[in-house]
Amino acid sequence: MRNTARKLFLEMAVIVLVAAAAGAIWNREMLYVVWTGASGETVKPVPASADQGGIPLPAGLMQVKEMYDRKEAVFVDARDEFAFAGGHIRGALSLPLGQFEAKSAEFAGKVPFTAEVVVYCNGYGCHDSMTVGKKLISKGFRQVYVFEGGYPEWKDGKLPVEGRNP
Amino acid sequence: MKKGIGKYFPVVVRIGLGLVFVYAGILKIMDPVAFAGSVAAYKILPYNLNYLVAAILPWVETTCGALLIVGCRVKAASCIIIAMNLVFMAALASTIVRGLNVDCGCFRQGGDKTPAWVAILRDVAFLAAAIFLARLPEKRPRFFNSSNPE
Repeated sequence: MRNTARKLFLEMAVIVLVAAAAGAIWNREMLYVVWTGASGETVKPVPASADQGGIPLPAGLMQVKEMYDRKEAVFVDARDEFAFAGGHIRGALSLPLGQFEAKSAEFAGKVPFTAEVVVYCNGYGCHDSMTVGKKLISKGFRQVYVFEGGYPEWKDGKLPVEGRNP
Repeated sequence: MKKGIGKYFPVVVRIGLGLVFVYAGILKIMDPVAFAGSVAAYKILPYNLNYLVAAILPWVETTCGALLIVGCRVKAASCIIIAMNLVFMAALASTIVRGLNVDCGCFRQGGDKTPAWVAILRDVAFLAAAIFLARLPEKRPRFFNSSNPE
């Protein structure tokens, strides 16, 4: 009986370990960029390609709303300044993709690397938030989320906005 | 020896549960970043561990499902599925307790949300099937044992 249980446990351990190893090998690039990009022990130089940074975590509307309500996350608007001035999530900081290099040092001076950062742009068809998120990780930010629904979904949810014509 | 439909019931349960877990696992393997986002929505793990779970868990699901389909190491695969289902149900119950409105992330990532209580009921059915399979006497697959047919 004891031997049977031991054999069963051993089989379970082997199955889990083999599957876990396969998963880790299959996703090695993702895990590598997540760990190296998010280690944040030193501020890394900006890579030549935007795609060399770590991968931000996607976040849905409810998750983002909870982060907003807790007031622990910094919201970053990756759209251009004109769109930002027209309307944005209340309290968000503007960091357009086109001006990232010019503005990122100022941003890093305001926001600690350990802060939760939520980047958004103009919804599901807009990829600037993902690119800005990757660049922020490559700068040393450790917890970067991308709100893929972006400003349109936030506004449709009747959540707090501000601007000239939100 | 069982007759009629009862004879095939364990095989149907085994292959059915195996197909469910292979399907669930492959959908997540195809989009690990989106699955990492679904795991992160539960707010249980630190940031980086969401990715580690997203990298490994679908492969454990797929492996266990494949073992059930081929009828190899059925008891061990069923026990792993029991353990995974208990963890899933605890995580889903915690979202209800904490008032989180998250998609369970059980199958396709994104799209329409499956309410937590629906996902828990579904997991209860999978748990029952896995317990049923785990209690069956272990048999070697027929192709390993062709000289001694049942």
